[in-house]
Amino acid sequence: MANKNITISKKTRRLMIHETVSSYLFMLPFLLFFVGFVLYPMFMCVFTSFFDATMGRDDIFVGFGNYKALFQDKVFWRALWNTLIIVIVSVPVTCVFSLWVASAISKMPVAATSAFRCIFYLPVVTGSVAVTMVWKWMFNNYYGIFNYIGTATGLIENNINWLGDERYALGCIILILLTTSVGQPIVLYVSALDNVDKSLVEAAEVDGATQLQAFWKIKWPQMMPTTLYILVITTINSFQCFALIQLLTSGGPNNSTMTIMYYIYYNAFKLYKYGYGNAMGVILAVIIAILSAIQFKAGQEK
Amino acid sequence: MKKFFAIALALVMVLGLCACTVTETPKSTDAPKATNAPDANVTQAPETPAAQDVDISLWTYPIGEWGKQETVDALIASFNEVYPNIHVTVEYLTYQDGDDKVNTAIEGNAAPDLIMEGPERLVANWGAKGKMVDLSDLWTADSKADMYASVEAACKAASGAYYEYPLCMTAHCMAINKDVFVETGAWQYVDEATHTWTTENFFKAVQCLYDAGYKNVGAVFCGGQGGDQGTRALINNLYGGTYTNAEHTAYTANSPENIKALEALVAQDGINFDASIVGSDEINLFVQGQLQMAFCWNIAQETNNADALTFDVFPMAFPSPNATDVQLCGGIWGFGVFDNGDAAKIEAAKTFIKWACDEEPEQCAKASTYWSTRQSLANMYEGDEMKTEYGMFMQYLGDYYQVVAGWANARTEWWNMLQRIGSGGDVTAEVETFVTNANAAAAG
Repeated sequence: MANKNITISKKTRRLMIHETVSSYLFMLPFLLFFVGFVLYPMFMCVFTSFFDATMGRDDIFVGFGNYKALFQDKVFWRALWNTLIIVIVSVPVTCVFSLWVASAISKMPVAATSAFRCIFYLPVVTGSVAVTMVWKWMFNNYYGIFNYIGTATGLIENNINWLGDERYALGCIILILLTTSVGQPIVLYVSALDNVDKSLVEAAEVDGATQLQAFWKIKWPQMMPTTLYILVITTINSFQCFALIQLLTSGGPNNSTMTIMYYIYYNAFKLYKYGYGNAMGVILAVIIAILSAIQFKAGQEK
Repeated sequence: MKKFFAIALALVMVLGLCACTVTETPKSTDAPKATNAPDANVTQAPETPAAQDVDISLWTYPIGEWGKQETVDALIASFNEVYPNIHVTVEYLTYQDGDDKVNTAIEGNAAPDLIMEGPERLVANWGAKGKMVDLSDLWTADSKADMYASVEAACKAASGAYYEYPLCMTAHCMAINKDVFVETGAWQYVDEATHTWTTENFFKAVQCLYDAGYKNVGAVFCGGQGGDQGTRALINNLYGGTYTNAEHTAYTANSPENIKALEALVAQDGINFDASIVGSDEINLFVQGQLQMAFCWNIAQETNNADALTFDVFPMAFPSPNATDVQLCGGIWGFGVFDNGDAAKIEAAKTFIKWACDEEPEQCAKASTYWSTRQSLANMYEGDEMKTEYGMFMQYLGDYYQVVAGWANARTEWWNMLQRIGSGGDVTAEVETFVTNANAAAAG
């Protein structure tokens, strides 16, 4: 009640208005960028997905025709399935492996921790094309080191066409993706472990808690925000796996490594079916949004 | 002070946006329209190239040394001695991402003024989509008389417009490792004088090499579309099949001859359907001695890899039933002009083309390392042993079917079909799928 009786002088009101206007003006450059380069393309993606859009002629409105065609497209389902396999395998493995490595190296002396952090982070800062080309050589059917070691040790009788055989190609892609994905989570987990309240851990240990109990009951809940962040970014990265496919397999053999991202590119830039590609982009965005929401919800409940 | 900066910043942003709007490129309605009558509809009279400075952009695919900066810089310097007011900036494309770059530029109204490539892109793709300028005025009676007839036909669209003015050409062939062929006794199956072999002898040679311990003799590469002219030529020639009909209106890869060829290749020891490599990988593997023959080859591969080659390369025509009835895939490269709506730039681009193809055709064709499209320059490599050796394949140049509609889709369908066949798919069913999908794309 008292607040209602406070009178604001004209000068104060003018100052408040000026401050508000100034704030918005300072935000204006970013807002313009955001509208021009984020919101507008997103809008155009959704908008064009309702058209039969290609190069060299006017777009034709097809309503939900592209979406209908998508659900009848066997390659799309194969791409969706492959993408889900990549996500289902790579996300938990990345999280568990990086947590394990982070736990191990965080107990080491500072110099050793830093050294291991650098080593595991190297694939992240190294150019993805360079890393992928090295893997391509290692998997080479004719002179790759994996075939060389395999045949030399008697593990395999004949060379295996790792990237050219649909039984192995997707596995190879996931393996490479894992090596380039674990660097950032390891660094994040090492920081999260450093920030755990040590007095709580010591108190628990004095009270007779085992290491596992101390981890599960004290460290893990405190690392939950970091884990949630890692889950979300790893899921998004896995869904958007493109460069590996483009450089190594072009989605083959027999679409066994076709992912949604590559199929979008393939339709839009190889077959010039922009509307169809955008419809796929919308579906991918919806899937990622739903999964991210589920992850956030689960993280908040914990 | 804070307020002043905020307002100043906002003004700069808004003015910047306005500036972007007013400097938008003119619409293509100002540009010359595709017509057989030279520049009949030009609404904006172009000034002569000598009258004003004009900047034009040239994007070139790696066509021999037209993909090398030092070569192209020298050519442009020669051009500027004659036409000092036309400034040419060059962007070098690769076959891996060149199409993506060009298509993105077209969509963004930022296509180059001038582009160097072949009819499958200039005529059948961008030309057919109305993105190119008709170059009919460059095709004078004299130039038509001097060009090979098949070259002129390839540069001309169904509408009668010419979207390419050609400079150079070559015949794509295959190559074998002569040292290994001699060592294993497979050399007996090769006609050394004509660089040809029959289908029967080809399979005998492959078996001979395989039996001698060379498990990877050749690869039907199908990891992507790169170098696919090699696999097409191999399959089409083995039993006299064709890729399209004579009118270039439908795909014919499901013919009994092609099915027989694919079945024979699948059954042959030493020939792998390899979905992990494309044409460039196959060339590397051949150069390294991992493969004993390459299906994606021409003279540029030998010159580009001269330092890396440790064995004697013997270029060969693709095997065919009677050896000399082979039909090789040709490459015809030249220039096209994008319709960017600026008559002065279009005129300058045409001036560059006339200089390269009419005024200095020998110098510019030699820069490509290939042969001129002009009959008057048939002997321009006289005395050059390697050029003479590869030059003999020109007599086997076959139909330039790459101008068929739906080409981009057909190319992707082709390697996908080979992957399925290589994985054990039924040959007849898979070629039917290919033809159905490719013809559907051709129908629009």
